[in-house]
Amino acid sequence: MDLSSLLLKLVDDAFFAAIPAIGFAMLFNVPPRLLKYCAMAGAMAHAVRLLLTECGMSIELASFCVAVLIGSLAINWSRRKAVPQQCFSVPAVIPMIPGKYIFGAMVGLVKINLGETASPELLMTTLQNALKGTAILAALAAGVALPQMVMSRRKPVV
Amino acid sequence: MTVKPPLSVDAQDEVTRMALWAGQLLLQHGAETTLVESAIHRLGCALGCDWVDAAITANAIVITTTSNERFVTKARRVVDRGIDMRRVSDVERLCVMAEKRIIDVAEVRRRLRFISDRARPYNRYLVVLMIGLSCAAFSRLAGGDWPVFAVTFVASAAAMLVRQEIAHKHFSPLINFTVAAAVATSIAALASAFRLGDKPQLAMVASVLLLVPGFPFMNAISDMVKGHVNVGLARWTFALLLSTCVALGILLAMNLTGVWGWI
Repeated sequence: MDLSSLLLKLVDDAFFAAIPAIGFAMLFNVPPRLLKYCAMAGAMAHAVRLLLTECGMSIELASFCVAVLIGSLAINWSRRKAVPQQCFSVPAVIPMIPGKYIFGAMVGLVKINLGETASPELLMTTLQNALKGTAILAALAAGVALPQMVMSRRKPVV
Repeated sequence: MTVKPPLSVDAQDEVTRMALWAGQLLLQHGAETTLVESAIHRLGCALGCDWVDAAITANAIVITTTSNERFVTKARRVVDRGIDMRRVSDVERLCVMAEKRIIDVAEVRRRLRFISDRARPYNRYLVVLMIGLSCAAFSRLAGGDWPVFAVTFVASAAAMLVRQEIAHKHFSPLINFTVAAAVATSIAALASAFRLGDKPQLAMVASVLLLVPGFPFMNAISDMVKGHVNVGLARWTFALLLSTCVALGILLAMNLTGVWGWI
């Protein structure tokens, strides 16, 4: 793929990731003055993840790297705006949450139970969906939490 | 550590109430447990207590304040009132103001009442529009074309309307998510039935993504990695339960319409 078409793809990806970041921020009642930060973080994160996976990185590792980035940004913004970091980090991560895999695993589980015999393909797809979904979700959440855990270590009481 | 002047019995009682109320508001509206714990501690200490400890579970908070070796303990029930980041940020700001001595206990009480009574910031139809667009954007990110985009928009906007309506009538979120998933899938199945667009199956997947319990999942893991395993596990389990309900709704709709997407 040449550079200009890759760039176009990234811009397109960033734009369509910004919409759910804003939409879900509104669903979570994030204060209106913070919406533009959610959009920025969501768009950037999704586009960077696409770039990393295009370079051959696995989706789990790419999600983790991007989540660390979001976590650091969220700490920075939350200090400047005096609001909890969740206001930024969760809406920004939402476009990357593997809903397709999570629901796919659940639907698969029910379908295995419904049929007389479950085909090996169905078992395989369900297991893959479940593992993929959990792995990406854990990577995202742990990645967002990592910067906070490094920054705020437990202080001695006295 | 500087020695604080001892509080009277009544004053300590009032401070305990305020710290507990602040914690309850935070936990009810989806704050992570570490934030709830620190906010309770900071608010109680800022209003004159020597120390404040909180025991937080998924549906109750118990706090103990200390002033001049006297302990006051109170408990309150916590029910899930839906995620509201504006309330969470307002309570957080209140703690900072109390720490800077800008507001006193009486003002804290007034402001907590205001925060708890305040209406949500966004018009519900605007949220419906934005959530519809969000799910449509998901279909586009997954490689769908414009007809699929349009069907996904209609399906998820309808599901969001249903979700708001059922939530308004105080049904359990489990029932709510099942019904909303069935509505979204039934409408999205039309794309497959009439062969709209290049990959009509995508509409079925994208239109239920508004029901992914992303906030509980994220909160669950961040709670667990920061040491609050019990609350984290409760949140994780509830998020899984919600996902199961969504899957049931999807299967129900696929059975009714006869369009089998997903697997």
